[in-house]
Amino acid sequence: MDTQAFIHERFSEFYSGNANGIEAPRSIENREFGFTLFKENMMVRHKGFINADELRDFIKRNAPSNVYYSTAYYSVPEAKMDEKGWLGSDLFFDIDADHIPAKCNKIHDSWACRKCGLRGRGPAPGKCPSCGNESFDERTWPCEICLEAARVETMNLMDILTSDLGFSFSDIKCSFSGHRGYHVQVESEEVLKLDSIARKEIVDYVTGTGIDVLFHGLESVRRDGGKLIVGPGLDEKGWRGRAARGTYEFLLAATPEDLRRLGLKKSIVDEIIANKDLMLESWAFGGPWNIVKGLGLKGWSKIVQRGVSLQSAKIDTVVTVDIHRLIRLPNTLHGKTGLLKVSFPPNEIEEFDPLKRSVAFRKGDVKIYVEEAPKFRLGDESFGPFKKQTVTLPLSAALFLLCKDAARVVD
Amino acid sequence: MSSSARPRNSKGREMAKTLTLEDMAKYPFMPEAAEEVRKLGFRIDGLFEADYAPILDRAERRVIEALTTNPPEVRYDPSLYKEDVEMLSFPVAVALVTSLANEYVKRRYALAEARRAYELLKRESEEKIVEIARKFGWRIRFSGEKSGVIKFDFALNFIDYLRNASSFHDKDWKLINKFVINGEVHLSKQEVARLLQEEIRRYIEGKIDPKIKSALPEKIFERAEKIKQTYSSSFKELPTEDFSPSEAAEEAFPQCIMELYKAAQSGRHVPHVGRFALTSFLINIGMSPGLIVDLFRRSSDFNERMTRYQIEHIAGERGSGTKYTPPKCDTLQTHGLCPGMDDICRRIKHPLTYYRRKMRAVKAKRVKESKG
Repeated sequence: MDTQAFIHERFSEFYSGNANGIEAPRSIENREFGFTLFKENMMVRHKGFINADELRDFIKRNAPSNVYYSTAYYSVPEAKMDEKGWLGSDLFFDIDADHIPAKCNKIHDSWACRKCGLRGRGPAPGKCPSCGNESFDERTWPCEICLEAARVETMNLMDILTSDLGFSFSDIKCSFSGHRGYHVQVESEEVLKLDSIARKEIVDYVTGTGIDVLFHGLESVRRDGGKLIVGPGLDEKGWRGRAARGTYEFLLAATPEDLRRLGLKKSIVDEIIANKDLMLESWAFGGPWNIVKGLGLKGWSKIVQRGVSLQSAKIDTVVTVDIHRLIRLPNTLHGKTGLLKVSFPPNEIEEFDPLKRSVAFRKGDVKIYVEEAPKFRLGDESFGPFKKQTVTLPLSAALFLLCKDAARVVD
Repeated sequence: MSSSARPRNSKGREMAKTLTLEDMAKYPFMPEAAEEVRKLGFRIDGLFEADYAPILDRAERRVIEALTTNPPEVRYDPSLYKEDVEMLSFPVAVALVTSLANEYVKRRYALAEARRAYELLKRESEEKIVEIARKFGWRIRFSGEKSGVIKFDFALNFIDYLRNASSFHDKDWKLINKFVINGEVHLSKQEVARLLQEEIRRYIEGKIDPKIKSALPEKIFERAEKIKQTYSSSFKELPTEDFSPSEAAEEAFPQCIMELYKAAQSGRHVPHVGRFALTSFLINIGMSPGLIVDLFRRSSDFNERMTRYQIEHIAGERGSGTKYTPPKCDTLQTHGLCPGMDDICRRIKHPLTYYRRKMRAVKAKRVKESKG
């Protein structure tokens, strides 16, 4: 059987039984919808629906491979782009493992050179080591480590949104995307009218872009005839405290190599390593700023700057600034995984298990031929690794591999 | 979107206070002042009776001061003008500027009035500043919050902050370099006055509405014409980014564009923002859409029809007809497309400005070489 047709049929079955779980986004009549369909491999945009039933009917009838809606509100969502009449837009953040370095080093991902066909593991290199070509086909997998890294970034983001920017948990919607990351959406009246420039400032705020640590408490002061460095404390609010906590975190794990990479002199690096315990303990008494002789404002700026990057949230910057963005609709299937985009209360993020909660298909087994796949987990069960073999798997795991284009159905 | 908040009465109880006549002379754009003008039975078509001559003269001076001072600032001198003249002349000056129908004069005038308000606001009490800010819908309160050794005077809702500060370019105005807690930005008195200047500037610009032009009495146009004849040399055309040197010189590209350019040439993946930045840059320096299509030809997902469509769209030959300019430097930074600054970068805010400056040097060098 044709794999695409098989996936389409399963999606269709799923939606005929579960479309009622799809909720209308706020002010559905002002939102634009978009779909990718299995038949024509293209995006259908500029669709509008007046209520949830109409939307569910459409999804049941077409069983799209992906369902999107606009973060924006329009007077006429079905009109052409410049005639829609933009009314406002939710504040939206996308945290995708693609943008986050993780300890797994993405070893589960693979690439193939489009020119000479050379294959390799991990993220694609800048240039093909064999032919020098610079474009690749890439296959990425959601792994537990990548998803954990994305969760940490999402938690950083939510801390900034609530403690600094003052949003309450009730304004924030949090979801797992069904693939490699999380979505965070602020639906407050407050943010609707923010233009792209203001949103860019918010992006810079959460990513730590353009920060000058000298505005956050790090400075050189004259005291008792000499110069003294003072810096932010761990308990302080806003970026001051975050810069301090990031600096602590960085120093705690810093190797001589990490410090040298900041451009610090070898003698300074040695001093820092030798005095590390003392420096960490000193946070209780005014901070480590004057322990290492010769480490001045410039050197500390580099270290604190590194600390800032540990505390920032690595979001996809383009998505947040775009006030016409289409995003995946919750409780619909992801065409690349067959998993659901699922929303959950922001305060549950620590216990949330994305690879369990997003499983959509719970019954049946399928026989498939797997070209190649790393070990992966869905629900409580682990599968693989597979290489050129025929296996019978639960429907959810089989669909996952089929959607990833790593397998085909065996009759 | 409309970003200028109209002054409105705040719900706060302490807002029962009203502005004095002196306040209205200082800040004649406040709605109370407009109300006072109405109460006095002042009508613009009665303006040409002899009694009103001082008002009309002062209105004219306001516009002239805006055009002839640098940086522009309308004067405030209570020894020279009576309070009612100062207050009443403002709407007349707005009518004069409206009838001049010149974008440069409009912006210059709004800026000059706003800068005057800034100078006055800096010397006001905290209470007065809060009172005026709230008339513009700002959610502001006294702060007293301390961060290290600094004590802040005010706490302003961060959305109200962004509405006004996002047009400022200095890094100390960036939200991330501010002390932000629980949705509020903590600020000094001077900073609040500066942000109010911006709010006032946009508000006055919004009042200069070409739609009401036809409702103005003929005599206003006559006066405006007089200003135009005397001061037309100060009416500048607004600078635009539109320039097209005949030869695009790669050696004058800023580093950010150069990297995108090389990536496109070698068929490497260029993210969407990068494509937009590169394409709009090349169009603005005069490269033809055809040549730009060729540039993307090596890209693995190249689709000629689609690429051509996108490029022509950016060039303003399709869709809304808007010709796009590339993003500013700080936007490129946000999206991780800034590879780091060189000496020219530190003095400019836009990749096209970089190109224009470097191009001058490149051309000078070429001339020198051809002579030598």
